[in-house]
Amino acid sequence: MDRSERRADGFRRRNPLSRTDFLRLGGAGLAATALLGAAGCGGGSAGQGGSSGGGSGGTKTIALSLSTLNNPYFVAMRSGAQQEAKKLGVKLLIADAQNDASQQQKDIQTFITQQVDALLVNPVDSQAIVPSIQQANRAKIPVFALDRGASGGDVTSTIISNNVKGGEIAAKELIKLVGSGDVAELQGVPGTDVARDRGNGFENVIKKQSSVRLVASQPANFDRNQAFNVAQNILQAHPNIKGIYAQNDEMALGAVRALGGKAGKEVKIVGFDGEPDAIKAIKQGKMNATVAQQPIRIAQLGVQYAIKVIGGKKVPKNVRVPVKLVTRQSVGSYHGWGAGAGS
Amino acid sequence: MSSLLEMRGITKRFPGVVALDGVDFDLKAGEVHVLLGENGAGKSTLIKILSGAYQPDEGEIYLDGRRVILSSAVAERLGISTIYQEFNLVPQLTVAENIFLGRQPRRFGLVDRRRMLADAHALLERLGVRVSPDARVERLGVAQQQMVEIAKALSLDTRILIMDEPTSALSGEEIVRLFETIRSLRQEGVGIIFISHRLEEVAEIGDRVTVLRDGKKIGECSALTEPSRLVRMMVGRSIENQFPRRRSRVGDTLLEVKGLSREGIFRDISFQVRSGEVVGLAGIVGAGRTELVRSVFGADPFDSGEVLVGGRRLRSGEVEEAGKAGLGFVPENRRDQGIVPPLSVADNLSLATLKRYRRLGLIDRGRMQRQAWRMIEELNIRPPKPDQEIRYLSGGNQQKVIIGKWLLAHPKVLILDEPTRGIDVGAKVEIYELINALTQDGAGVLMVSSELPEVLGMSDRILVMSDGTITGELSAEEATQEKVMQLATRSRRTAVG
Amino acid sequence: MASIVQKVAPRSLLSRGGPLGGLILLGLILTFLSPNFLTFQNLFNVGFQAAVVALLAFGQTFVIVSGGIDLSVGSVLGLSGIAFGWASVKAGLPLPVALGVGLGIGVLAGLVDGLLITLGRLPPFIATLAMLSAARGMALVISGGVPLNPIPRAVSEFGSGDIFGFVPYAVVLMVLAWLATAGILRTTYPGRCMYAIGGNEEAARLSGINVSAQKLVIYSLSGLFAAVAGILLTAQLASAQPQAGTGFELDSIAAAVIGGASLVGGVGSATGTFIGALILGVLRNGLTLLNVSSFWQEVVIGAVIALAVMTDTLRKRGA
Repeated sequence: MDRSERRADGFRRRNPLSRTDFLRLGGAGLAATALLGAAGCGGGSAGQGGSSGGGSGGTKTIALSLSTLNNPYFVAMRSGAQQEAKKLGVKLLIADAQNDASQQQKDIQTFITQQVDALLVNPVDSQAIVPSIQQANRAKIPVFALDRGASGGDVTSTIISNNVKGGEIAAKELIKLVGSGDVAELQGVPGTDVARDRGNGFENVIKKQSSVRLVASQPANFDRNQAFNVAQNILQAHPNIKGIYAQNDEMALGAVRALGGKAGKEVKIVGFDGEPDAIKAIKQGKMNATVAQQPIRIAQLGVQYAIKVIGGKKVPKNVRVPVKLVTRQSVGSYHGWGAGAGS
Repeated sequence: MSSLLEMRGITKRFPGVVALDGVDFDLKAGEVHVLLGENGAGKSTLIKILSGAYQPDEGEIYLDGRRVILSSAVAERLGISTIYQEFNLVPQLTVAENIFLGRQPRRFGLVDRRRMLADAHALLERLGVRVSPDARVERLGVAQQQMVEIAKALSLDTRILIMDEPTSALSGEEIVRLFETIRSLRQEGVGIIFISHRLEEVAEIGDRVTVLRDGKKIGECSALTEPSRLVRMMVGRSIENQFPRRRSRVGDTLLEVKGLSREGIFRDISFQVRSGEVVGLAGIVGAGRTELVRSVFGADPFDSGEVLVGGRRLRSGEVEEAGKAGLGFVPENRRDQGIVPPLSVADNLSLATLKRYRRLGLIDRGRMQRQAWRMIEELNIRPPKPDQEIRYLSGGNQQKVIIGKWLLAHPKVLILDEPTRGIDVGAKVEIYELINALTQDGAGVLMVSSELPEVLGMSDRILVMSDGTITGELSAEEATQEKVMQLATRSRRTAVG
Repeated sequence: MASIVQKVAPRSLLSRGGPLGGLILLGLILTFLSPNFLTFQNLFNVGFQAAVVALLAFGQTFVIVSGGIDLSVGSVLGLSGIAFGWASVKAGLPLPVALGVGLGIGVLAGLVDGLLITLGRLPPFIATLAMLSAARGMALVISGGVPLNPIPRAVSEFGSGDIFGFVPYAVVLMVLAWLATAGILRTTYPGRCMYAIGGNEEAARLSGINVSAQKLVIYSLSGLFAAVAGILLTAQLASAQPQAGTGFELDSIAAAVIGGASLVGGVGSATGTFIGALILGVLRNGLTLLNVSSFWQEVVIGAVIALAVMTDTLRKRGA
């Protein structure tokens, strides 16, 4: 080592940690304290708190990985799962992936680390979920798909609404309401099974008759705000639209806003899901009908099946939960998604 | 006269260096107390402590006999104003807005622009400065900006005015005016701390002198003490010859500039620099010298004319090309253009020659360190630590690093812009010796300087610029201060022939 | 190779006392709070989960050290993943070629950023903000808004597989990227130029450094690292998602700043960024293990970032 390096070393040894490094240490310490604080008060708000994984006898633990909580439909699913878990005496862990596929992967990895006994998954993307399912398979954790399917991996049971039938029902109702003229379709996230099935069901029926014509089909990603913009654009291009079919209620409500005074009157609107805001709109006359799903039932079934499989019993591989048409006439007797479905 | 300010036992440490070591200093009301010392002696640190920018590690400060702890806000409140060498002005705002920054006169809660302009105008008149209070600061010359800084201090009802090298960017007439203002402030009872390198100013404006060296107070005496004794106190040894120029053999032309012009800034400039010679570029502030040498080096573009180095024509505005052809440039503004503050001394030294350390795509750091050590020893850079962050070095040592950076590149011609501004006597001599060594080795030096003694003492030939043109050329033998000033103040309108 | 590691690791670790200490402290607290934290499986999960952001952060480090900022890395990640996905799924190109397309698009995007900044004279913030939108838009156009799959087997196995049976390939890639970044910063010409330009661009220019050319290199490097991150994420999810990487640019900046890089320029290191990315990864992982809702997670992460930037500012004012 020549003179220059020796001197340089001496300098380094005399000044290993500067004051700012200590500040950083303190900063990290504060952050850690913030973490503790958040763990204390935030932990409870996501369903059952606590981090002890299941596995060893006693109470079983089921994990639920939701795609998002930004939609009352999934909020209802969460409620359904929570109630059923409480009723059957199992611990329920919940994660919200905020519609980010890579976040969902992290959520599921964490559940696997916590050695949960079963995994209920509501995929953000049917394809991107596959590696996570495969990881759960390797860890010998049974996987159940809720509301959307997965295109790979070993899934013990897939519980979804009968979306194809729902699309057909919606089409028939829209044809009845419009009589004859042009209609448009607001599609969900392209490429998802849900959007595909609800679209196919609808279009199959529309194609088989000629008095009502489908002139526009645009995706709005199941989002209310996006649907508002897309609906406005469609109206610009096709001012004589008589009806709109939205593949979910959030988008239908966006279209309602875009149509203003025409909503429900000159332009008929049919949605899908049966969420409380849509029911309200139907009662107010701004929407005409919706195809109600049963999110709570889907979640309940998920929990029930999970417990059955944990106990060594068999369950059906594919479940199609029925959907129901709710119109202005029948809305009075519709009970919504069920007890505790949210405000 | 009572003691307005007393500082006792002030000590301040930075990583790797003790800037001040038990320094005592006091100031009486109505006196001008000069603070003298080489750069790195601690003068800047002492006044930063007084202005509240730094906290001393040890020692106390007393104002009117009462102990005070200073922060920037407290210092301002107690009437301590500082005018730094690097100005604290906001370039995009006007003169008046800068003067009253944060303290604009108000009427019904809104800024009273008319009164602000009028008050600013009055202050500027008092200083005898011909600047419009509505002008944007970024358009003013350095000297005028300094005047704005002084006006700002005046507007604060200062009791203690600290001035750090105020005359370094001013010309004769402006300095006279400044001293008049200082004298009238002294009359009013303001205490003034005046930092300067120029020994001739000490006697002219000062009452007392305190000399610092290496962070310690060496002595305190009357301002009328003879300069050689002051120098000895500052440097620790006597300096026989302030300007030790040793002429070398003059050889071929290395740099040739022909008819160089830049619209509105300089016109039709032609000159040469030959091997072994020092060409001084004199003139008053604003003549266009810095702009000229920047265009020669490629830092700024030029509109017409030619720059040839070793016969090779350089393109306008291409620094990389100029560097490769053999030019080097030490800019006027050390802090903003010369050093890279967060990097080490060694890193700064290698900036101009980085490409040469490349081997198989990687930089040979070992070789880089060795070259850095060589320069540190040759140039006597203190503290001698290659890994020291350059921002903690004194101005003089930083300047040596910048020069060292170019020395490593073995330039044909080294261009220096105000090479010894803000640098103490001792380091100045070292830099002059560097210039000697350069020319001895066959390089040429082009030196822009506003310090006439320096221009006269170190140049072999002097080019004088005024108002964007070269008004004359003098040889070292025939040049005198008067002749230079005459050429420097000749404007286009009064030029004969 | 060993000597490079020797030269790179010990010296930087010593002067990164602050962030490293923070990471260890964080780890200790989480170990105490959750029995699942300190298991091999979970620690490698952290590595797996942090790898994508770490790759982005390394690229971002080059940019931040040089005094700039790159807001487009998240979108370039998505665009590169989609470009790779398109090349292998839709165009049926052989794997090496498809990888080349993905990486090439990333470099191209970075180059465009650099050109906007040098020739176009746009501030980096604005130029990369524009690319953030444009790249995301391109990704949606190429993919038609739909995820692209199936991804070649080799790639998805890389995404979820391990070496020696337990070290995820993603972690190996992250470590390699760390070493490469450290090497570039400390021992290459462009690397030293980054520090000079970030520390004082004018002084660098006046010393003969071709600042414009170097900036093109810097932003292209950032684009390249974003492309690698995009392909890695595609491998992890076994599908190319057009929305992949949305918002990741903020994490990349946070990791670099927590690790000691200064947004003003001239300061930063590969090891520091690595630790910063790990701190973020550990935080997210830990908060999820503790079942803290994702909303609170964002609050905590925001607090950590604010603290890190605060200490950075304090240091500027003269420690």
